[in-house]
Amino acid sequence: MDFELSDDQRAIVEAVESLLAQHAGPKRAIELFANGQYDFALEAALDEAGFLEIALAGETGPLEAALCVEAVARAAGAIAMGGSTLVAPGVAGRTLPGPVALTTAAGSAIVRFGAHARTLLIADPKAGVARVVALAPGDAEPVRSNFGYPMGRIAPGLQASGETLAEGSHERLFAWWRVALATEAAGTMRSALGVTTDYLKQRRQFGRSIASFQAVQHRLAECAVMVEGARWLALEAAWRGAPVEAAATAAAYAAAAAERVFLETHQLSGAIGYTREHDLHVFSMRLEALRLELGGIASHQRALARARWGGAA
Amino acid sequence: MEFGWTADQEGFRREFLDFLRKALPQDWEELARDGPGSDVQAEFSRQFCSLLASRGWLTQHWPKEYGGQDASPWRHAILGEELWARGEPRGPQYMNVNWIGPTIMAFGSKEQKSEHLPRISRGEVLWCQGFSEPQAGSDLVALRTLAIRDGDAYVVNGTKIWTSYANHAEFCFLVVRSDPESKRHRGISVLLMPMSLSGVRIREIPSVVGERYFHEVFLSDVRVPVSCRLGAEHDGWSVVTYALQFERVGAARYARAAFTLDGLAARLAKEGRLEDPTVQEKLGRARAICEAARLLSYRVIDLRVHGQPPSADSNVARVAGTFADRVVGELGLDLFGPDAFEYGGFAESNFRLAMTAGVAVGATEVQLNLIAQRFLGLPQE
Repeated sequence: MDFELSDDQRAIVEAVESLLAQHAGPKRAIELFANGQYDFALEAALDEAGFLEIALAGETGPLEAALCVEAVARAAGAIAMGGSTLVAPGVAGRTLPGPVALTTAAGSAIVRFGAHARTLLIADPKAGVARVVALAPGDAEPVRSNFGYPMGRIAPGLQASGETLAEGSHERLFAWWRVALATEAAGTMRSALGVTTDYLKQRRQFGRSIASFQAVQHRLAECAVMVEGARWLALEAAWRGAPVEAAATAAAYAAAAAERVFLETHQLSGAIGYTREHDLHVFSMRLEALRLELGGIASHQRALARARWGGAA
Repeated sequence: MEFGWTADQEGFRREFLDFLRKALPQDWEELARDGPGSDVQAEFSRQFCSLLASRGWLTQHWPKEYGGQDASPWRHAILGEELWARGEPRGPQYMNVNWIGPTIMAFGSKEQKSEHLPRISRGEVLWCQGFSEPQAGSDLVALRTLAIRDGDAYVVNGTKIWTSYANHAEFCFLVVRSDPESKRHRGISVLLMPMSLSGVRIREIPSVVGERYFHEVFLSDVRVPVSCRLGAEHDGWSVVTYALQFERVGAARYARAAFTLDGLAARLAKEGRLEDPTVQEKLGRARAICEAARLLSYRVIDLRVHGQPPSADSNVARVAGTFADRVVGELGLDLFGPDAFEYGGFAESNFRLAMTAGVAVGATEVQLNLIAQRFLGLPQE
């Protein structure tokens, strides 16, 4: 048990952060989002440095991959980092042509990164497998969305197609997907909270900084507890290789925390928080997308309970 | 960063659980229903802690020179986790080993160390803590209990309140105002006061939490020898701050909540209610909150292992532990309804003992203030 980064881990995180400082950040996220664009430049830079394959690199594993996913989320990178670096290696045992988007056989046709993805991973619990689809141009179309990520609509029938992976692989897909979205939520929440506390420190009303009001402080402090908790749960689940229970725990906690952090950061930021001229929306709207993914909070909670205590789906 | 247990730590947990299966009586759950301050549990703690001591486990995390084994704080955390989960069979003695002993090590004289540490380490002495007063609760530095120097003794007058274990304790970790002219943090001293001194009177405050849970301790012209003072005169606040850092996470409340939740699930399984998606969601929600509290508590232990100074991470962990206690306490009632009305039942006992979580050891609001200021860097009000 050691919660501090090792020297190697610190070097990885710092290298990713320095790439992100050049290629990402809220300003760039706002520019890309205005046109529904995917950040291929950022993805290429991370790929070139080897960070997309970090989960399979021998010396490193899923924890290091999760640390990279978290860093990308903190910097609002507009790429499918979770799908490419955590989920694909976890489910298929190899990297898949990215971007990698995730969906379920019976799920909505609207998929995060769907319009830009080259690979679609599909969980089909009824068939008891996961499937891989290599997406061709025209398989998905962009969807205008307010929820922070480039979204796509998958063509009818595609979610029932694809190359079948091993029996039970849908469980692996669910678990890694949960770890990935919990990790992304943790990084995104940290930045949403950071943007909010920075703003409230300098915003003055009633002759004083808003952040000095105890009524405000307590709500931010409760958010901080949740953000920290979500982060450690996600990282622990990644380190353990996404056992079903730990993965569902991380996702259940992170999704519930995301709901709360969205509400509090917007309420406390006031009207400026709704504008595209302030950074909060870059992170907050993504939190809502993450919160709803894969059946949402209740589905993670049920998965957790079934994994721990039994009971039918 | 990694989240694994070493072979030694895993081995210790297995060995310890094995030991607990034999050391705890069959009807332990029944015995523990009134909490660690009850007569039966305080009494049990003496034999149980002696047994732990004879195995070398009670103060294994202490330095060798004080009767410990220099064991990693992780081993002590594993022990605390398993004991809190089962309703703390150490009774009040968890305080001794978690923070009273370590604070005596840090601030005590040679004589104080040799008087107190071996007895604590052998598991044969009970302590209580004299912090809160009727007019000084969350605002601890408003305390008024006066200790006026008179030759080789302090003459102590005042009232302490909410004092758990006072009726069984031989010593009190007593916080007093030694300089009557002083205000707030200055002029405070800590006394290691024998409860047998004349002028000490105890009244139980009946409560809905459990028997012998709260007491008032009246101090009337109690002559406490100056040799009982811990640390420098008038500089007791630094002693208190040191002690509180340990105390805030000493109690593995998340482990208790998680253990209880497993117990609730086992009872629901018997009634065939685990198939109910609503029940699954409620259990899942509570479990996730317990797990977050576990990791946030581990973070504090990890900082200690790394030799980092105490930080607001301990306040974060404390608040998370409170969330865990609350959610499981309420859930037990929700799930069992009026069946939980009967005193002493599983869900009822847990609800009762969990409901003080946000108040005991410093109100949640005080913890949140500290998180806001020290963790988020927000300005003081």
